[in-house]
Amino acid sequence: MSEYLPFLVIGLATGSVYAIAAMGLTVTYTTSGVFNFAHGAVGMIATFVFYSLRVDVGLPTWLAMAIAVLGVGPAIGIVIDRVLLRRLDGATAATYVVVSLGLLVALQGLAIWIYGPATRSLDPILPHSTFRLPGVNVGWDQVILVGIAAAAGLGLALFFRYSRLGIQTRAVVDDPGLTELEGLDSGLITTFSWMLGCSFAALAGVLLAPLLGVDAVLLTLLAIQVFGAAVIGRLTSLPLTYFGAMLIGLGQALATKLVTGHQSLNGLPSSLPFIILFAALVLSPKGFFQEVVRTRAAAVRTGRRAVGRTFPWPLLVTLVAVAGLLPTRLNGARLLTASSTLGFVLVFASLSLLVGLSRQVSLCHAVFVVFGATTLSHLRNAGVPFVPALLLAGLAMVPVGALVAIPAIRLSGLFLALATFGFGILAQNLLFLTKFAFGAASVVRIPRPEVFGISLASDTAFYYFVLITVVLGVVAVEAVRVTRLGRVLRALADSPTATESLGINPTAARVIVFCVGAFLAAIAGGLLGTLTQVVNTSTFDFFQSLVWVTVLVTTGAATLGGSVLAALLLVAAPTVFTSATFVKLQPVFFGVAAMLLAQAPNGVVGLFRRPDFAALGDRSAWRAGSRRLAERSLAETAVPSMGVTA
Amino acid sequence: MIALDVAGLRGGYGRTEVLHGVDLRVPAGKAVALLGSNGAGKTTLLRTIAGLNPARAGTIKLGGTNIEHRPAHARSRAGLCLIPEGRGIFRRLTVRENLAMHGGKKDIDQVIDRAASLFPVLKDRLGQTAGTMSGGQQQMLALARALVKDPSVVLADELSVGLAPVVVDEILEAVAVLRAEGKSLLIVEQYVERAVAMADYVYILNKGTVAFVGEPGQCASGAVFERYLGAA
Repeated sequence: MSEYLPFLVIGLATGSVYAIAAMGLTVTYTTSGVFNFAHGAVGMIATFVFYSLRVDVGLPTWLAMAIAVLGVGPAIGIVIDRVLLRRLDGATAATYVVVSLGLLVALQGLAIWIYGPATRSLDPILPHSTFRLPGVNVGWDQVILVGIAAAAGLGLALFFRYSRLGIQTRAVVDDPGLTELEGLDSGLITTFSWMLGCSFAALAGVLLAPLLGVDAVLLTLLAIQVFGAAVIGRLTSLPLTYFGAMLIGLGQALATKLVTGHQSLNGLPSSLPFIILFAALVLSPKGFFQEVVRTRAAAVRTGRRAVGRTFPWPLLVTLVAVAGLLPTRLNGARLLTASSTLGFVLVFASLSLLVGLSRQVSLCHAVFVVFGATTLSHLRNAGVPFVPALLLAGLAMVPVGALVAIPAIRLSGLFLALATFGFGILAQNLLFLTKFAFGAASVVRIPRPEVFGISLASDTAFYYFVLITVVLGVVAVEAVRVTRLGRVLRALADSPTATESLGINPTAARVIVFCVGAFLAAIAGGLLGTLTQVVNTSTFDFFQSLVWVTVLVTTGAATLGGSVLAALLLVAAPTVFTSATFVKLQPVFFGVAAMLLAQAPNGVVGLFRRPDFAALGDRSAWRAGSRRLAERSLAETAVPSMGVTA
Repeated sequence: MIALDVAGLRGGYGRTEVLHGVDLRVPAGKAVALLGSNGAGKTTLLRTIAGLNPARAGTIKLGGTNIEHRPAHARSRAGLCLIPEGRGIFRRLTVRENLAMHGGKKDIDQVIDRAASLFPVLKDRLGQTAGTMSGGQQQMLALARALVKDPSVVLADELSVGLAPVVVDEILEAVAVLRAEGKSLLIVEQYVERAVAMADYVYILNKGTVAFVGEPGQCASGAVFERYLGAA
């Protein structure tokens, strides 16, 4: 038993830091209704500022810490609330997910651009002398961490119970409109809660930095581990969130002890938060997780412009014609880029079925792509011919898609996004190194095949094979859009209740769309894998799933045009604009664009209006148009002169 | 002296305009009953005056000062008090915390005494979560805001909905007290006769415009009600 004590102490200390981050996340979510995926990224930025102030500027540690926690954190909170979220009042949950994902991608890209990807070490902030308890040495730093978290938790509890501002904050959580009627600025109170929450994120980041190193990716990830804790607290209860964070900290530490000597279970401790996240969401009774909805009555959404309801023959034919001619103009690396772009058109098209058509934000799309590639490799090694192997690799992902669809049946919006997010990280941590995926070598090879007696070894030949497959896949996606399944999914996205009242079973449609999406993504993965011939564990990591969603929402998730543009921007643009700054800033650009365009009806593509030539030729349309114009100007001039009508 | 002067007010939800230029005046110290069938725009009008819904055009003057560009909380501070439809309370806060919200920076004990002077039951329930009280008690807590905040104009939206008749009497008595204190009232009420009985003026809203303005005596014949409300 005594050999577990040190791990218990470590677990309590890390759990405490998780608790600080998780409580901050919960505070912002309950008051604003916006789950901040970028919570960790906020802490990460504050930690980098702390590092710069302490190491580069040479400020005393306490001052650097105060500036980071009380200055930078709250400042980012103000920007998030006032600049990013205020204009989105009344948007859907999916929109908010995309905005905070955009922020995550942008902040992480920004930090890597400024500070570079290397981890910087940091001298300890807290004293590292130890004292002896029966059976275990305890560090003073660990005691202080536990103390800070306990004090923070208690402080928050007292604040919300007894202080005027705390009660006002709870009033905003209860009913923002009524708080306004009480003569209080609910917007100001919401901003304050963002400042509070982000300052907690900053505190957690600064406390963790000496233990982990200052690293843009690691620190962002660390607050992502607390999503599980927040979910245990149902994203609303602070005590339960605190408890959940401790549970995760302790669980991780004890798991580390338990798996020592079991090579295959190495990924378990780091996966535990996500196992908890996924399990809590999937196993909870229906209706257990209720989203906090902050919709002002005034912000009733008006009809989204109809897009993607007709088969895009003109675009498809044009694209095939252009793509078909490309090999005559390109060669070498450029042709590989073109093939890769085509492959990504299918990746984005399959993702658009989920994100665009049924408005279900899925954050584990890279899993399907990776397993498509690795399964294809395994099948090829087993001697299966290429085309059947590719189809089988796609089919193998259908049950996985159905598995991911389980949360989609019961959860919507934010909680579905969180569940798929957890699943994506779990798959990467637990399955990538098993024989189902990359194996211990962490790499698979897929040699170029021969199909129907034609060798695809040359880049040109393989390009055409990719083109044909992608066109078939895209036609399938567009077929889904314009048939009954597409209509049902659109209807479900609009109003699940109304759709069910028509006698339509929502489960079947949601499962099928995930299966189709997984199938096509796996096919795309197989194509991309065969293109590069080598795929390793970092080719498509979970972060790619997040980037893809932000890119697709930026360009337009509801149409083929959006998928094509997404692929061009993600894959082709960096090879055309090769400056290092552009390549490094690309994620920042996508993140910012996703934040700006999250609420645009259909991204960049939606900003282009196709001219209505038919109406131009119709003279009655002209007359109707001018009549409407006249009526409008009449109505406008009539307003000031309105007299008493009684 | 006009306490609340609304002129040419247009408003609605999204692209849908609900109020098509409403003119309405509440003289100081008087009570105005606002009547109209379902969907006439009564609630929208009250919410737009209070600032919870945006106004597209028109002016709102409170005691002669234009307030149409101010946010809802500033209108509340200027002396406008909307008791919204449904239960205007913070359900998850305790009664004491609700009263503290009503009182703002005032001393909480004085606030409790003021509320209890009309609704003694509230004093016995200070520690209770507001949402667990009966509908009538919740409405009393909501109405206590108009007592505690001491506004110049009170907008009351369907205070009696879903309440037992004996509780309705108690609530409407409180409204009479507000009036006796000299507050100007704009009342939307489902019990038409009772609203008319306590009103100095009657407005009837029909399809987003004012269809009738008059004194209670003018609509005693019932012809007006028949025309706009479908019943006498």
